[in-house]
Amino acid sequence: MNEILKVTNLSVRFDTPEGLFSAVKNISFDINEGKCLGIVGESGSGKTQTFFSITGLLSNNGACDGSALFKGINLLGKDSKKISKLRGKEIGFIFQDPMTSLTPHMKIGNQMIEALIYHEKTGKREALKKAKDILSIVRMPRIENIMQKYPHELSGGMKQRVMIGISLMCNPSLIIADEPTTALDVTTQKDILNIFNELKLNKNITIALISHDIGVIAEVSDDIMVMNEGKLIEKGSCNQILKEPKKEYTKHLLSCIPEWLN
Amino acid sequence: MIKLIIKRLLVAIPTLIVIIAFVFILMRLAPGGPFTNERALPPEIEKNIQAAYNLDKSIPEQFLIYVSNITKGDFGPSFKYKDFTVNELILSGFPVSLTLGLSSIIVALFLGVFLGTVAGIKRNTYFDHIIMSVSLIGICVPSFVLAPILSLFFGLYLGLLPISGWNNGNILNLILPITALSLPQIAVISRMMRASTIETLNSNFIKTARSKGLSQKIIIRKHVLRESILPIIDYLAPASAGLMTGSIIIEQIFGLPGIGRYFVVGALQRDYTLVSGVMILYATLLIILILFSDILRAFLDPRVKLK
Repeated sequence: MNEILKVTNLSVRFDTPEGLFSAVKNISFDINEGKCLGIVGESGSGKTQTFFSITGLLSNNGACDGSALFKGINLLGKDSKKISKLRGKEIGFIFQDPMTSLTPHMKIGNQMIEALIYHEKTGKREALKKAKDILSIVRMPRIENIMQKYPHELSGGMKQRVMIGISLMCNPSLIIADEPTTALDVTTQKDILNIFNELKLNKNITIALISHDIGVIAEVSDDIMVMNEGKLIEKGSCNQILKEPKKEYTKHLLSCIPEWLN
Repeated sequence: MIKLIIKRLLVAIPTLIVIIAFVFILMRLAPGGPFTNERALPPEIEKNIQAAYNLDKSIPEQFLIYVSNITKGDFGPSFKYKDFTVNELILSGFPVSLTLGLSSIIVALFLGVFLGTVAGIKRNTYFDHIIMSVSLIGICVPSFVLAPILSLFFGLYLGLLPISGWNNGNILNLILPITALSLPQIAVISRMMRASTIETLNSNFIKTARSKGLSQKIIIRKHVLRESILPIIDYLAPASAGLMTGSIIIEQIFGLPGIGRYFVVGALQRDYTLVSGVMILYATLLIILILFSDILRAFLDPRVKLK
């Protein structure tokens, strides 16, 4: 199996007024091509920062070391220009809060085609055509008018579909989805997770799905990695983690799911 | 849009009438009148003068006459500048004041936004600290202190710039007054802009823009600026009001023949019509500016709907 992302000995620190805070402590993992890795943990466990650090999205007071090989390129190497070229092109992002994640003064169409025009110098007309195709993949209702609309005219579910659309514009090989369904109602949640499953199967896109909700993770993930307080607790296949967890913490986490769901 | 502008201007009429009434009453409440002298005039002459200017009528009557004249575009004769009507005085001074005010606000806007944005992007660097400390001085030092210092330094010591006079709008004559007038506003605007830039940079949609791999330049230009400038647009009208009152003093200090001095002289000498005229002009300008900044705001922010 081909591993698309191989992270070794990654640590992330933040320089806070109270001193150095270690958010991620020496973790190693890898994701295989075309698979979905689910990352579970409570908030503050460092799951988001793990992925922000390897893609250069850490806030200014953050620093990281270790190595992260994406298709053989070390993302934590010195060539930060190269990494920002991968970002948005090879690696797509979906964030937690669709309500605030779109630029309020830009039309949806322009926000969608921006990355494509920037990275691949595509013409506007062509880019808009592609945006339309992608919106049908994410099952956006009323595609015709959507390009001319502003974010505040869309519902939360529609905005998150736009976000997924944006992440897909440059045909990425990896999508990092940071709590993509947390702000959405359950029916939309289900819909979005189905889209992830389709992307994985039909387009061979690798997905890193970050969530605190094991139910969401179980829906799409092939492998699961459990994190707590910046440490990697346990990783394994979806079945193994859910059915035969080895570590106490994982058992605790699973016991938090209400009985009647099983 | 045109409908909206007309509507807003119509709504402004009652506001203007209230302002006119207020100035009218305040001026008459002040002790003395335009023709009060050390030596009393013979009663017959005084009576004649009073009658010529309608001052012998009751106050409400005077007010009605004044307002009805204004609707005809006639602001009446000046009581103190003999042989001049208020219209003539305003027409001669207004271009000067307008040039000074408009250039100051434009300079303040561009420099303030530019410095504030750069300070916000490079926050906690030396550049940021320098801009912010200088701007703090700019806020604390009023323009009537700044103006003489500027004249002393650039005019007398360095001999670079003329320190007074209009000289038919020569740009050299304008540099010092514009600087003195706009510096405090540059200071305020750059501080507001810095705070707003930092806030915008921390928002989620900038994270999205970064995740697209766009360059910093594009992110600032297309995503940050249009959001972070919104508080400045709202500040535009109060800033202009500040500039107007500031220009009254600045015109005095730099000997510019604007309408500011008519305002001061008129108020001191109880030149009722002149003060009211200038006041109405200021109020109208301010109302237009507020309308303009509202339209600009709606234009920049699709979430705002004009109604």
